[in-house]
Amino acid sequence: MNHETSSPKPHATAHLTVPIWVISLTVTLIFLGGVYFDYRSGWFDAHVYGPYANAEQLDLYQPKSGEAALIAHGKQLYDQNCGTCHNPDGMGMAGKAPPLAGSEWVIAKGYKRMVEIPLLGLNGPISVKGQSWSASMAAMGAGLSDSDLAAVLTYVRTSWGNKAEPIAADDIKAIRAGIAGHPAINGEQELKSIPED
Amino acid sequence: MKTSLPIFLAVFVALGASFGGFVAGSVSQLGTAKQAIVLNSTEIYPVQRTGHATLGLQVYRANGCAVCHTEQVRQDGMTCDLVLMGGGKNTAAVNKALAEINPGNGGFTTNELPKTILRGVTKEVADVAADKITTAGGKAEIHINAIGSDISRGWGVRRSVAADYLWDYPVQLGNLRAGPDLADIGARMADEATQLRHLYAPSAVAPKSAMPPFRYLFETRKMIGNVPSPDAVAMPQGVVAAGYEVIPSEDAKNLAAYLLSLRIEVPLYEAPFTPAVSAPAPAETK
Repeated sequence: MNHETSSPKPHATAHLTVPIWVISLTVTLIFLGGVYFDYRSGWFDAHVYGPYANAEQLDLYQPKSGEAALIAHGKQLYDQNCGTCHNPDGMGMAGKAPPLAGSEWVIAKGYKRMVEIPLLGLNGPISVKGQSWSASMAAMGAGLSDSDLAAVLTYVRTSWGNKAEPIAADDIKAIRAGIAGHPAINGEQELKSIPED
Repeated sequence: MKTSLPIFLAVFVALGASFGGFVAGSVSQLGTAKQAIVLNSTEIYPVQRTGHATLGLQVYRANGCAVCHTEQVRQDGMTCDLVLMGGGKNTAAVNKALAEINPGNGGFTTNELPKTILRGVTKEVADVAADKITTAGGKAEIHINAIGSDISRGWGVRRSVAADYLWDYPVQLGNLRAGPDLADIGARMADEATQLRHLYAPSAVAPKSAMPPFRYLFETRKMIGNVPSPDAVAMPQGVVAAGYEVIPSEDAKNLAAYLLSLRIEVPLYEAPFTPAVSAPAPAETK
């Protein structure tokens, strides 16, 4: 900035002087820029985009793991693990697997029997909605975590017209601990010997 | 030359600063990006494209699709809906809380659940209201929706983020929207035959489309014995002359596979939203 030529003062010294307003304007702009950067940059966090200003705001808008999230998660797991035999619409497949929609075993108030079937597997005859089935099921749920199994079973209990209470991961944990090492359930007879809750 | 050192230094600093800002900075920020986990699930996103879709990206690139189409959905903000999930035991207390939150709500009956009681509010308002319902013994959930002009056009359910482009090389961002955004076209037009029909005769699928037909990606040939071959794409009447059929080339099929692979429909940590539970499951890629 060539200030000297524009200065009308004849006694200007040999040193270039910057007027105080330029300095204060620069400092103010740097300060405002810093505030803007602090608020909008997300500090270069690779996860912070667009309408979110920073990581805290992003955390605020994460969907809480409420019941809807649990059910949505359960649906994905169901389609992967159960849907092949029980059908994605829960209606079962003739000669392969009984329906889950409206099944008395699913919508029972006490869910202990329903939890033990995927944990242990089931062999032998079982009657569902007045029809007898003799297919066997492997312990499909043994490999799922407590929270995953809770999500699947909650999805099954609340979908396709089923209206039963959700199951919590802690309940699964307790039931799983109680039946460790047990062989597959032997048909309806043994299933009925399990207390409902 | 006396000034060669300062000139060299100035050039070095100028180029170095832009290299640092545009290349080194971006690489250190996103260069190690990996597949992420979809929110509230165990699924990995994005999955690697099929071979056909990977080749299709090169067809997309070769035909200059990115000249008229973008692949980036913008988002202006977020809104929250408050949904009443359960009434609990003390219905009177919950009804009172509902009236407090929004006098226009009235009460609820068990059959109506889940009932949306607040729409399009900020997170803070939704949190306060959810607290009131929880205190009254009820159960409420906050649903988060991405909003923006692109989203209201139906071009996606959330904004595009870097993870969406993890398998794209080169990334076909585009900067001109002579046509609609394609970031979510695979979910919007989830059918290979429709994609191919649209490439052959855009106006047959989208009547007002300004897109040029890409007929050289297809072979139009005379049907043998008036029976279309298995590969032929069914066309609406009037698109091809009677007795002729349209066979997609390998390029056309690959391009369709690539377009079908373009989906941004899952919530991620960096672009959260609450997916609709009743949303149809993603169609299998063909």
